[in-house]
Amino acid sequence: MPSSAASYLSALSKADAQARRSHNSTPPGTPALSMSSSITAESELEDPFSLANDTDSTDLMRPRTAPTSEQVFTTVHAEFGHCANQDYRYTSEHGPDDDLSHVDVEPPYYILLSTYASYLLLIVMGHLRDFVGKRFRPAAYKDLKATNGYAPLSSDFDSFYIRRLKLRINDCFSQPITGVAGRTVTILDRTTQNYNATQELTGTTTRTLNISSYNYLGFGQARGGCADAVEACLQRYGVSTLGARLEGGTSDLHVLAEALVARFVGAEAAVISSMGYATNSTFIPALVGKGCLVISDELNHASIRIGVRYSGASVRMFKHNDMHALEALLREVVSQGQPKTHRHWKKILVIVEGLYSMEGTMVDLPGILALKKQYKFNLFVDEAHSIGAIGPHGRGVCDYFGIDPREVDILMGTFTKSFGAAGGYVAGSTALIDCLRVHGHSGPYAEAMAPPVLAQVVSSMASIMGVAPAHTSTSTLQPAHREPHPAAAPASALPAWMALPPAQRDGSEGHERLRRLAFNSRYMARALKKLGFITYGHPSSPIVPLLIFNPGKLPLFHRLMKDRATPIVVVVVSYPATPLVSGRVRFCLSAAHTKDDIDTVLGACDEIGDLLDLKHGVGERWPLEEIMERSVELVHMDVHE
Amino acid sequence: MNATTPATSPLYPVFAALSSSLSVAEDIFYKIPGSQVVARYVKSSHRNDPGRTALELILVVFAIWTLMKSRTRKDGQGKHFISFNEKEIDDLVADWTPEPLGKPLSEFEKHDLAAVPIIQGPNGPRPKLASNGKTVLNLASFNFTGLAGNENIKERAIETLRKYGLGSCGPPGFYGTVDVHMDFERDVADFLGTEAAILYSQGFSTVSSVIPAFCKRGDIIVADRSVNFAIQKGIQISRSTVRWYDHNDMNSLQEVLESVDKERKKRGGPLTRRFIVTEGIFEQDGKMSDLPKLIELKLKYKYRLLLDESFSFGTVGRTGRGLTELYNVPAAQVDMLCGNVSIGLASGGGFCAGSSVVVEHQRINGTSFVFSASMPPLLAVSASEGIAILRAQPSILATLQENVRAIHTVLAPVTGTLVTIPSHAASPVIHIHIKPQATSALAPGAAALIKHSKSNPASVRLPVDPLKGVDMEAEEKLLQEIVEECLNNGVWVTRAKRLRGQELVEPRASIRLSVTAALSRKETEKAAGVLKAAITKVLGKRR
Ligand SMILES: Cc1ncc(COP(=O)(O)O)c(C=O)c1O
Repeated sequence: MPSSAASYLSALSKADAQARRSHNSTPPGTPALSMSSSITAESELEDPFSLANDTDSTDLMRPRTAPTSEQVFTTVHAEFGHCANQDYRYTSEHGPDDDLSHVDVEPPYYILLSTYASYLLLIVMGHLRDFVGKRFRPAAYKDLKATNGYAPLSSDFDSFYIRRLKLRINDCFSQPITGVAGRTVTILDRTTQNYNATQELTGTTTRTLNISSYNYLGFGQARGGCADAVEACLQRYGVSTLGARLEGGTSDLHVLAEALVARFVGAEAAVISSMGYATNSTFIPALVGKGCLVISDELNHASIRIGVRYSGASVRMFKHNDMHALEALLREVVSQGQPKTHRHWKKILVIVEGLYSMEGTMVDLPGILALKKQYKFNLFVDEAHSIGAIGPHGRGVCDYFGIDPREVDILMGTFTKSFGAAGGYVAGSTALIDCLRVHGHSGPYAEAMAPPVLAQVVSSMASIMGVAPAHTSTSTLQPAHREPHPAAAPASALPAWMALPPAQRDGSEGHERLRRLAFNSRYMARALKKLGFITYGHPSSPIVPLLIFNPGKLPLFHRLMKDRATPIVVVVVSYPATPLVSGRVRFCLSAAHTKDDIDTVLGACDEIGDLLDLKHGVGERWPLEEIMERSVELVHMDVHE
Repeated sequence: MNATTPATSPLYPVFAALSSSLSVAEDIFYKIPGSQVVARYVKSSHRNDPGRTALELILVVFAIWTLMKSRTRKDGQGKHFISFNEKEIDDLVADWTPEPLGKPLSEFEKHDLAAVPIIQGPNGPRPKLASNGKTVLNLASFNFTGLAGNENIKERAIETLRKYGLGSCGPPGFYGTVDVHMDFERDVADFLGTEAAILYSQGFSTVSSVIPAFCKRGDIIVADRSVNFAIQKGIQISRSTVRWYDHNDMNSLQEVLESVDKERKKRGGPLTRRFIVTEGIFEQDGKMSDLPKLIELKLKYKYRLLLDESFSFGTVGRTGRGLTELYNVPAAQVDMLCGNVSIGLASGGGFCAGSSVVVEHQRINGTSFVFSASMPPLLAVSASEGIAILRAQPSILATLQENVRAIHTVLAPVTGTLVTIPSHAASPVIHIHIKPQATSALAPGAAALIKHSKSNPASVRLPVDPLKGVDMEAEEKLLQEIVEECLNNGVWVTRAKRLRGQELVEPRASIRLSVTAALSRKETEKAAGVLKAAITKVLGKRR
């Protein structure tokens, strides 16, 4: 296991050399501007100050293959990559024999053993250091001891994990950035003089390839139609509507955006909240309460758990995405009723996520709906990660499976991810949504969503839907009768002042983004498998976790990726966000990535994977060159594992 | 018989080894420092009282048994479990009909929802209503220092948009910490004079996350009975032991602190964390905390003070720093100082300021910080710009105070006769209650009544419910009539909207004015005049 400093250094220099080689073999970066009609060479659009400190940015700032004269790109390559090859597209759609179950792939035994051993070692060493430290350096422990009659804010037991395990790899977390977290992101370089106790900014920045942000459709942009719409909105509306929705903070934009969201997801009505987390934590208590039961997937997000705890409802959990476990639990709880009294449950609400953010698994929606028919529970689907990112029209899991969204009682989602905005929504029947407006915590107490955020939501959503040419009779905001779904947005659903560029208005750009994301996701997931890695998740998921297992390899993977000639920033997660043994790196694909970007990441993974002994997957393996060569074939292949 | 003999002989060495290792273990045991004491204790207690040994044994067994039991109960297979066969379960499933998911709204709630004014275009001191296109004077929205629509802020927001885009696309832990977030945190810490601060992405979700980040099971929270809803939720989720003191009553607080102290001395036990949780200006009625007294008590009884300045940050003090500035108390003396950026700085989000230990702790333990995307960068920059404006122009806060006084002056003729104003005279948040009619159960003496019966800090409810007999819905309807009357006359005020039935203690129904420095004194007086007329019209006819 190459975890010593020496091997780390040798790995670094190897990676560097490799990168330099590949750099020389590619055609030298002639400025794209001189070769094509591209209107967006970075010299024209990129703010000069954000480039000033960039070191070695050429690789990331310009496409590897220069565009031809007929290609016109309207984005900044650093934000949203230029990729004209129509082969690198795919449609996110459910195939008849897609496997939805979540399987934990077991690594070889020695990996498991060494993982446990590593944790044991870390824990023993941690306690040893605490033991010695408390005696010889009491000053360093003063915050953990009662001082002057005050109990410590956190006991040394509670904070042990944070002090002794997380601290060692703190350079992998909370990395500050500047600028847009798009296809590339500029990180503020940090160093530490005291083994991560504190980290200081060096004042320099590094432009890196970003495969970590929840920017699935690449709408996180400082340029382009959406940003223009946001600017127009800021001019018009300012930054805030100054109050809660039920008091002094509802504007026409809220009403309009909610109607558009309802159309987008295919529900009767929707309510918007200014924070995704609060969407769950403040609306779930209006749905259930004492005497009700929530059945929750064991991997549900913290915001759902908090919302359920606020509500006072009872909770039971079932094994992640396992329909048999869910059915068994349903049979038990319906027949047993409430504990002790055996009274019937008032309501049973099953809460699942569309796409799970740590596993990349997709909910078995057909399975759940079949159970719903039989067991009559209500269904709440949190589409934080799936809305916009999944389905041929980007309308989330219902769209993906071709299911009528009205079969789901409550569709919840967030705008932080695919839409490059903030906040969240809940959609459902009009009566239900009105109930949430009045009885949810957000209505009377929480700030309404800010106008610029609404503008980003509306403009990005409309460009996914496409805007139908103005109609004579569509004057009402709320669809009166059932309209076909999914359909384009009527022109009246947008504010009159919002001028989207033609490619966004006709939906072609949104369509392109969806298809690029679908290709990128599938390519990444399948390529990593072919390289021999153990990955989790659904092949259509833009979240691709690559299993690393050993806690020592996590930071090493992170650092090796970041220190490459073309730096790549990744997210590593381990216990307690994942089970103890399955530490992982989580890639988040984006429509903004080009195939070349993914090749860059794959190349890096391939090298580092060999170095860190990470390739323990089963199945046929292909060499990297073959994968890059046959990418389109790989994506379209029927794979039965 | 014979068969056993050959069996015992091979076992013999095992026994021998066992007994020798036992004696070795005993030797080792006695070598451990302190072991003698344990051994002596066991021996002596046994000699003195064999019954006690038995009792202790039973206790140990009981402890293990309860541990096991609590584990099995989690599996839902407790002793209340009834076993059914598959057929019975199918029948039970077929029989079960759930209640509808959403509670249908009452007529009043429907009317109330439909009556929420929708603004056409930007909100500010004189917004235009979508319903009739009329411009109104705004005393409903939070624009205390008039930062809404500020051109500098807009300009900075657009600059930020052009560099950062809109969303941050990630939680703070994973590439969502943008430099402008760190800048705002530094700005607000500098402004208040604390070591550090942390920015949450929604004001309402700030304090409800801060409380459970510090207060755990077994800790003690002493809280005001009328804290806002977010604090109530934070306390609920913390699972700490809560003691309540009477609303804004420092004597009651001291009594509670004293009694907790006594209890602890009597019971012994380890030192636990103790917190006083209260608000600067109360969301429920605009009363103001006596900060110096709070600090004195917290220091005396060694509590940490969590002060929610949601409605006092950006609204009071010479430059809007809040209660600490108003009372000239160093903000560093408040252990956790929470503020609401969307209310105080007309932007978005909330913050908690304090020592760096307090702040760093939240970066890992504050759930709504950790598990949510960070705030859009342009909102953080707008907030920073807001602070810069407040620093540079103390006259804003002076204007605001003038307008607050103007309102009180204009309303004086109806105050005390038709309505009462519980809010502090300096508070730009002014609540207006209907003065109960003489026949109503809420006689003016109710407050005196409470004084007579001793408050019970273990319960949120007062022994004498001051709202008993008050028809809350009737009051809300009357107030709504006033609101609509004002709106018809070009002045926008709002009732303080609440989740009836969900607050720990039902707050009185009120109209809440949010005074703003963006309106001139004349306009403020005019608005208050319209309100006064509406009050007279609606409440006067009751007589
Ligand atoms: C399933 C789920 N729900 C809700 C949220 C919270 O959303 P936000 O980050 O917009 O607050 C997240 C974010 O990570 C999530 O993954």
